Amino acid sequence: MITMNTELFRNALAQNEKPVLVEFSAPWCTYCRRIAPALAQMDAQYGEELIFGQVNIDDEPALTEAERIELVPTMVIYRSGKALGSIVAPDSKAKLEAFILETLKK
Amino acid sequence: MEHIYDMLIIGGGPGGYTAALYAARAGLDVLVLEKLSAGGQMALTAQIDNYPGFEDGIDGFTLGEKMQAGAQRFGAKTEYAEVYSLDLSGEIKKAETSEGTFLGRILVLSTGASPRTLGVAEEEALLGRGVAYCAACDGMFYKGKTVVVVGGGNTAAADAMLLSRVAKKVILVHRRDTLRATKIYHAPLMKAENVEFVWNSTVSQLLHNEKLTGIVVKNVNTGEETTIACDGLFVSVGRSPATELVKGQIALDPAGYIPADESTRTEIPGVFAVGDIRAKALRQVVTAVADGAVASHYAEEYLAEHF
Repeated sequence: MITMNTELFRNALAQNEKPVLVEFSAPWCTYCRRIAPALAQMDAQYGEELIFGQVNIDDEPALTEAERIELVPTMVIYRSGKALGSIVAPDSKAKLEAFILETLKK
Repeated sequence: MEHIYDMLIIGGGPGGYTAALYAARAGLDVLVLEKLSAGGQMALTAQIDNYPGFEDGIDGFTLGEKMQAGAQRFGAKTEYAEVYSLDLSGEIKKAETSEGTFLGRILVLSTGASPRTLGVAEEEALLGRGVAYCAACDGMFYKGKTVVVVGGGNTAAADAMLLSRVAKKVILVHRRDTLRATKIYHAPLMKAENVEFVWNSTVSQLLHNEKLTGIVVKNVNTGEETTIACDGLFVSVGRSPATELVKGQIALDPAGYIPADESTRTEIPGVFAVGDIRAKALRQVVTAVADGAVASHYAEEYLAEHF
């Protein structure tokens, strides 16, 4: 999981090799802590196919607004700079995994 | 031949992991099925002050991880799996999950509870667009804004207090003329300058464009309706037990909880109910962990008699 500032986020989106999953999150967000173990497991499982990154919305307010993030945690998958899909606070590892697999098919 | 665990535990909150700790420590082969991460509802609680042993309090997520680690130290395993259905009819209980089928001689139900909804039109559609159920999670999005809290219990009072430190104005809407919350919550709330109360009222309508813009409340005595402009609505009207998995298999009490006495035994031999899903007077972390210990005791007895 890469901690991304705006520059690293832009760089990740600019490459065409791998899709990128970005978790928009915040240190005070208790739900983000709950989902962290599941995200780490997804990173271990799908890290070959997908880049995993995390943006702290408190540090990157302009980026957060530009990406129209309204709630944390929001997970967005991008390919070649374009958002393919997003999910807000999935309540199980199974839902997070289903989101990843479904979105990568697009 | 599939592996048969001595004990399958559905839900990794305090009740589930305490059952796991006691059972694993007694030498049983234990698996906890948890859909996300340890702790259950308490994992979303920023500060727990009424679980003894932590004089400065502890955050619920950390406490959940500690309980999990404590159980794992004695060999209890965790599978991060969402349970889709349970079959409690045979001597061997079965769980169908996102990660496959799991079998157990004993099954402990510790699925907890989740926030109750208002049941107002478009409530679900506005979730995350003004409607929220967790002030500790989503409160920070309402910095300098006006929010409504619905409810009159301890959670509603605590949510209103927390939001009053962030939001410009907090309006507490309650269907009675006084709070049900215990006294410790009353005084600071009454003193807070930016908290207003709307008594004897229920929410009848949600107003919105793309996001929530206000609510309509109805006075329960006069029937009069009033519009309140707000940016956020925090619903804090209690919890409902997560019993979907056992509906039709175990009879529930009128409030929807699983009837099981202090032994935590349900009407099905070998199936135990611990924590918030069990019919009981007080739902707290301490009473959930007590249930877990008791369930493990009677589970050992059941195993000795039946296997």
